Amino acid sequence: MSLLKVERLSKAFGAVRAVDEVSLEVREGEIYGLLGPNGAGKTTTLSIIAGLLKADGGKVVVGGTDFASDPGRAKKMMGVVPQEIALYEELSGRENLEFWGRVAGLSGVDARKRATELLEALSLADRAKDKIKTYSGGMKRRINLGAALLHRPRLLLLDEPTVGIDPQARMNILQFVQDLCADGTGILYTTHYLEEAETLCRRIGIIDHGKLLAEGTLAELQERLGGEKVFVLEGDLAAAAPETWPGFNHRFRLLQQSAGQMLLAAIDKRDPGECLRELLGLPLKVQNVTLKRPNLNDVFLQLTGRQLRE
Amino acid sequence: MKTLRVLLLKDLRRAWRNPVGWLVFLAIPLVITALIGMVFGPKTSDTALGRIKFALVDEDDSVLARMLRGAISQGKGGEHLDPVFLGRGEALQQLQNDQLSAVVVIPAGFTRAYLLTTNVVSLELVKNPAQSIYPAVLEELLGAVVTGLDALKRNLASELPDWEAVVEGQGDYHRVSELIVRAGDRLKAARKTLFPPLITYANEAETSNLAGSAEAAAPGDGKAPEKKPGRAGGAAKKEPGFNIFGYLLPGLAAMFLLFLGENASRNIHRELEQRTLQRFRTLHHQLYDFVASKVVFCLVFLMLGSAVMLGGGGLIFRIDWRNPLALFLLTASYCMFASGLMTLLPALLGDRRSAQALANVLAMLLGMIGGSTIPVQQLPAFLRDHVSPMLPNYWYTEAVRSLAFDSHPGGWLSVVLKMALVGAALMFLAAWRLRRGLERGTRG
Repeated sequence: MSLLKVERLSKAFGAVRAVDEVSLEVREGEIYGLLGPNGAGKTTTLSIIAGLLKADGGKVVVGGTDFASDPGRAKKMMGVVPQEIALYEELSGRENLEFWGRVAGLSGVDARKRATELLEALSLADRAKDKIKTYSGGMKRRINLGAALLHRPRLLLLDEPTVGIDPQARMNILQFVQDLCADGTGILYTTHYLEEAETLCRRIGIIDHGKLLAEGTLAELQERLGGEKVFVLEGDLAAAAPETWPGFNHRFRLLQQSAGQMLLAAIDKRDPGECLRELLGLPLKVQNVTLKRPNLNDVFLQLTGRQLRE
Repeated sequence: MKTLRVLLLKDLRRAWRNPVGWLVFLAIPLVITALIGMVFGPKTSDTALGRIKFALVDEDDSVLARMLRGAISQGKGGEHLDPVFLGRGEALQQLQNDQLSAVVVIPAGFTRAYLLTTNVVSLELVKNPAQSIYPAVLEELLGAVVTGLDALKRNLASELPDWEAVVEGQGDYHRVSELIVRAGDRLKAARKTLFPPLITYANEAETSNLAGSAEAAAPGDGKAPEKKPGRAGGAAKKEPGFNIFGYLLPGLAAMFLLFLGENASRNIHRELEQRTLQRFRTLHHQLYDFVASKVVFCLVFLMLGSAVMLGGGGLIFRIDWRNPLALFLLTASYCMFASGLMTLLPALLGDRRSAQALANVLAMLLGMIGGSTIPVQQLPAFLRDHVSPMLPNYWYTEAVRSLAFDSHPGGWLSVVLKMALVGAALMFLAAWRLRRGLERGTRG
């Protein structure tokens, strides 16, 4: 069942098109990863869906409700975890959770009960009474996440929830998100960490300069680069001119070229050994060839000509 | 309402956890009141104006001057005046050393010139420039004495040479009694002219139990009020006594409530900076709830602050506010004004530092021109006559002082209505402007 449907969403800030006709869908029990570098338009897209920004065009439907016609009803189905820590530093973890529960519509008793559950689930029960300002970055991130879950939203929007925390805390959060997903929550997860998108998300949308460039499962995206065959050639490649090599463009797709490295994907489903022989026959001084499975960075590279990490 | 209550409780809890800022603003007016009150106020436990120490330099050395010396040291004069009798040089020296509030000089030949000639005669008053209240009180008293002497001279001019002979020790009992009878007849005949009963006065400094004795006589009844000494029953109403702490505190409280309002309204910017407002906006509530909670928080915060300032101050300095309901209504309406003004600034100015700076300058200006820090009478004529009377600070301070010290304070209700109206308008404007700014994305 579709929990979130975004159709041709657009937003411009002056001459800059921050979101350009983005369409996506998040289903029940699914984590949809919106992957892109900083400034790609992930947060703007999420802000429009959450009702923090007004779109210039397009449509957002949450759980069958058009956001524009009934934002209150749509918001009740959503939980939003902003990228920045949005908590009251002077209050304790429990007080923060109870407060956000009360304003989300829970009674005092229910908010207390739910806060206790979440503190246990987030492994913060022993620090519940401490003020937020005494928490570590990872602990704050966990409470920041919990504050969006008090009212048991069916759809969760997570805006880079693991930025700036240590690997252990990141693992805790990712595990928690997976558990939520297993309970049927639909999650829209923005990130610029490839590993997170690869391991966590069922479907991934790659966004850059406001445009959704590609979308699909990890396998589908890898398929765009010839399945499981990406070759990395290393050596003195400064003088290499692939466009002059006969038939090269029909057999390989050049993903990236620098003075010391060349990244290539085989276009068809030939045997890797055959591809390797073809590559070694090229007029190049190659010192090393590596065959690897394409990752999302390779996909992004193919789509934009840039590394995602740049 | 539920959301408003939850938001309000959260803000109060946050304020409670961050007490330094608002504690300072609560403490300063009490400390300043205590300091100024201790410097200029009574030195004893009596809350009324203390005794005024001054020097009487009698260069005339006549019987009249000696009588005057005796009179001011006895009875009521002795309660409020503390005269020392010195030579001119020593008196001026003590004045310079700030040991005296003033020096009154009876010049040589004063009695003779007063009784026997038609020349204008003068008493000399040298005030201590380092003090403000006591010399002013003494000047007023001397003015009253001079007016009395002037009236006597004008009405009893033909008898004065005989009086001069008597005071010089030349008369006998027969002559003295004749003079007293004649003077009495004249005063009786001229009573309505000399003592027109149109305006009377009640002794403001009297705080002892005088059972309703100082009420003003009704116009035209021809009787001046009489004080009936003696203890009154428990139901007797006390007359207001002047208490310098009670005079200072309302003004300072009015100014520091503005600072406190600024402190409370910073909360709006903090919510923006901490992104908690952003999070709130992802929930199903309208922005009205948030905006209203901020304005109400400011109002509640100021009400609590004023309770500490005026209630606590009243207990510490033993101020009898006399009409708690009127004081409450005046303070509540002033708090409406202060919270409206102080939430309007962050609503108008997106930048926290600009809003803070402007609010502080505004609070100080309102405090100074509105009579919170210096008496309005000390201000330049234009400010005093045309600007101060337009300011809520002035309305509030004067109304509260009037409640505390006037025998028949009136007009406070109109002040309450005026301030509530201005406050409600400012609060509405602040809420509207803040909401519009947030919706347009010019805030946060």
